[in-house]
Amino acid sequence: MTGYPVLTTTAFLPIIGAALILLFGSDRVARWIALGTTLGTFAASMPLYAGFDKASNALQFVESADWIPSLNITYGMGVDGISLPFIFLAALLTILCVGASWAAVQTRQREFYAALLVAETAMIGLFAASNLFLFFIFWELMLVPVFLLIGVWGGPGRVYAAVKFLIFTLSGSVLMLVGIIVIYRACGTLDFKALTLARASLQPREQAWLFAAFLAAFAVKVPMFPVHTWLPNAHTEAPTAGSVILAGILLKMGAYGFLRVSLPILPYGVHLFLKPMLVISAVAIVWGAYVTLVQTDVKRLIAFSSVSHMGFVTLGIFTLNRNGVEGAILQMVNHGIISAALFLCVGMIYERTHTREISDYGGVARIAPVYSTLLALFCLAAAGTPGLNSFVGEFLIIGGAFRTQAWLGAMAVWGVALGTAYLVWLFYRVAMGESNPALVGLKLELNAREMATLAPLALLTVCLGLYPDYVLSYVHAPVAQLLAAGVAP
Amino acid sequence: MNDLVMLIPELILSGMSLVLLLVARRIQRTRLAAAATVLAALAAALASIWILSQGRNIAFGGMLVLDGYSQFFKVLIAATLALAALLSVRSLEGIPHGEYHALLLLAATGMMLAVSANDLLSLYLSLELMTLCSYILVGIRVEIPTSNEAAIKYFLLGSFASALLIYGISLTYGVTGTTDFRAVASALSGHGPGTNVLLLVAIGSVAAGLAFKIAAVPLHSWAPDAYQGASTPVAAFLAAGSKSVGLAALGRVCLAAYGSEAQVLSVLLTGLAGLSIIVGSVIALSQTDMKRMLAYSSISHAGYALLGLIAGTSAGASATMTYAFFYVFMTLGAFGVVVALGDRGEKLEGYRGLAAQRPGTAVLMLVFLMSLTGIPPTAGFAAKFYVILSVVRAGHIALAVLAVACSVVSAFFYMRVAVLMYMNEADEPAPSRFPAPVFAALAVAALVTVIGGIAPGTLAAWAVSP
Repeated sequence: MTGYPVLTTTAFLPIIGAALILLFGSDRVARWIALGTTLGTFAASMPLYAGFDKASNALQFVESADWIPSLNITYGMGVDGISLPFIFLAALLTILCVGASWAAVQTRQREFYAALLVAETAMIGLFAASNLFLFFIFWELMLVPVFLLIGVWGGPGRVYAAVKFLIFTLSGSVLMLVGIIVIYRACGTLDFKALTLARASLQPREQAWLFAAFLAAFAVKVPMFPVHTWLPNAHTEAPTAGSVILAGILLKMGAYGFLRVSLPILPYGVHLFLKPMLVISAVAIVWGAYVTLVQTDVKRLIAFSSVSHMGFVTLGIFTLNRNGVEGAILQMVNHGIISAALFLCVGMIYERTHTREISDYGGVARIAPVYSTLLALFCLAAAGTPGLNSFVGEFLIIGGAFRTQAWLGAMAVWGVALGTAYLVWLFYRVAMGESNPALVGLKLELNAREMATLAPLALLTVCLGLYPDYVLSYVHAPVAQLLAAGVAP
Repeated sequence: MNDLVMLIPELILSGMSLVLLLVARRIQRTRLAAAATVLAALAAALASIWILSQGRNIAFGGMLVLDGYSQFFKVLIAATLALAALLSVRSLEGIPHGEYHALLLLAATGMMLAVSANDLLSLYLSLELMTLCSYILVGIRVEIPTSNEAAIKYFLLGSFASALLIYGISLTYGVTGTTDFRAVASALSGHGPGTNVLLLVAIGSVAAGLAFKIAAVPLHSWAPDAYQGASTPVAAFLAAGSKSVGLAALGRVCLAAYGSEAQVLSVLLTGLAGLSIIVGSVIALSQTDMKRMLAYSSISHAGYALLGLIAGTSAGASATMTYAFFYVFMTLGAFGVVVALGDRGEKLEGYRGLAAQRPGTAVLMLVFLMSLTGIPPTAGFAAKFYVILSVVRAGHIALAVLAVACSVVSAFFYMRVAVLMYMNEADEPAPSRFPAPVFAALAVAALVTVIGGIAPGTLAAWAVSP
């Protein structure tokens, strides 16, 4: 153990950076402060990986302090193998967001970087929270910065997208608030660990309602099939950094909620809702893939592909077997890396061409070979090509699905096939063929800063593809405990 | 202890108001009067805390009680007065400064007496002192027609509510033969709950009279007109002060006097709270005037605050106290931004593009709006958490769901201001810099709003119900 509270430091460094920017920063230095803060945050999180005991399924780096003593609510932080990869991802992606916004954001930079850093605190804090109250605080803290990121620095339809995002997520999360309060009344505590023991005091009927209340919050964030409609607007209109945060981390918050709250605390609710969850996951995979196929806007295409890919994640979680759940967690990480990378790629070329229509591109590979190579790598990774990271996650999930219900596995395989189709076709239309005359003469090739922004993600894509144990070794122990503790009633 | 010593806070306020009246003609600069008011408020707050340290006391033959509950609200009233006085330095052109501040002080005196009242009659008299001063404050901009209209509306409806209150008091006296809270409670304990029709009418009338003060639906119709017509600091003073005092009085009457009729009270309060939350948040959606929007927002907040009293427990009353406390600061903050922006602040459209012109002011407003919506980590979230917890504990889960659903509706209109500020281009020149006292008031309100959200537990220790 190290001498300082690692999790608290990691979580709150960014917000201190945001305060510094707002109080003292000018537009000129704001991005430098932001870069320094995100790098510092990443560095501060290093002891987590060095000192983590992978064999243990308990929360580690636990911090606890009285917060609201009269209500027995504590300030509690702690990580296990499920949350740790996401803290890494959040800390990494925010650095890349600063890199991607370096030249792209020219207006009101102070507020932009402050909002980005507040969002980073919310993301890291959410994955580090060890009780439901703190979890909810960070969950909601995410709302306003992302709302501003979309609405102020986004594309032409930004205001509509931002308001839609806000109202959708808020509607879900207020029901979660009532759920939290009901749990608190019944169990007298909000600590995740204590709740797995105290869950017996929740009646089956209560559990069913509670599952529905939490589902409202989680399903909107994932997003699951009928409530995903905010996503295409938000992802498409957001600035690149906003899309990266949304696709990379925000979508994972919902799935993480299932793993952290629904499965361990509401086993009867999970049991009751199992079939519908599996069905809408399968629908999301296939339906999302078909909708993705017909998109003509690059960003919208990637946004819709998230609906399909996150369908794999929820499918994996609700198979409730080891392969499925571990695959889901791995796939959350993979999707965080790949969709972030794809949005970065799109953002970089958009800065030069100012169009998102696929038909305006073509033959980019001749003009920008390095860019096209990276784009090909990420497209193939997203399509689940063996040797790249997504393959392992999808493979595990499909394996888990076949064990539950053969037709679920079949739907998932169908989804993979469609995924290959829309991604390879996207790459074909953008990069292959004759160069679009409008593009000739533009400097499409990446500069050093942009290559440095994409390099870590490319490296992770390959490394996790060849050696997924980098992530899986962390999740074995907590997943085993999660499933052993009796997700089935 | 000497009864007069127990009244030091009130004596300080009324004394300062007399001083201001005496020298009114000589006060040319508004800042001098404001400084005197702030000073008096600070002294009254300190005196209230000192009296709290003396333990619970009954003064003036049972007319007043000094306990943790009353002193909590007295400190809150002093804070309201101080912040309202600070905000007044901006918009006081053509108004007699001395008289204006003297009226503020007198109204605050009435508020402080009301939260201490231990008898229906002392409650009525002190509330009248507060309301009479408020009528004049609303209409003090004599040359402005809307201000006069607002004052007359407020006066007529207010008189009606006062009549209801005194009617309820007289009926209570008829049933029990006393007006002292404790004596009323012990006289009622003999009756079976819900059997005496006269008593039910009495409770209904008293509750209606008090619901008027907090602008709960269906006795809310004065608030939008009064807030719009009054000068903004007065509107802020009413929204914060009148509301917290009404809640305090309602809480004490429910728990101390009519506690045996908990069932009836619970139904009554559920209706008031539910209607206020729904009507307030839905009608606020269609407002284009900032002060009217804040008026409807204050109506819905009255509903949220009432949620705590439904349970009829002391924990519930503490939740309402916490709500009132945080509400005062966030609402004063929002009104403070309106004051700071001058004429531009009164129309919703005036907020267009504010973030690009005045980033600091926009961030402050964003914090207050988040708090009013109930988004963590602001005090508004902590306040909502406490009252909803109390509702759920009382078993009214449907009401809790209704309350949070309406907070999503309220997010529409609060965040519309955020959209205007951040996501639109300005079409008016940047507002002039605002004076230091206004900035001080905004800073205090913002600090309480943020710290209250991060560490709400510190306040809970003080929020002890009677």
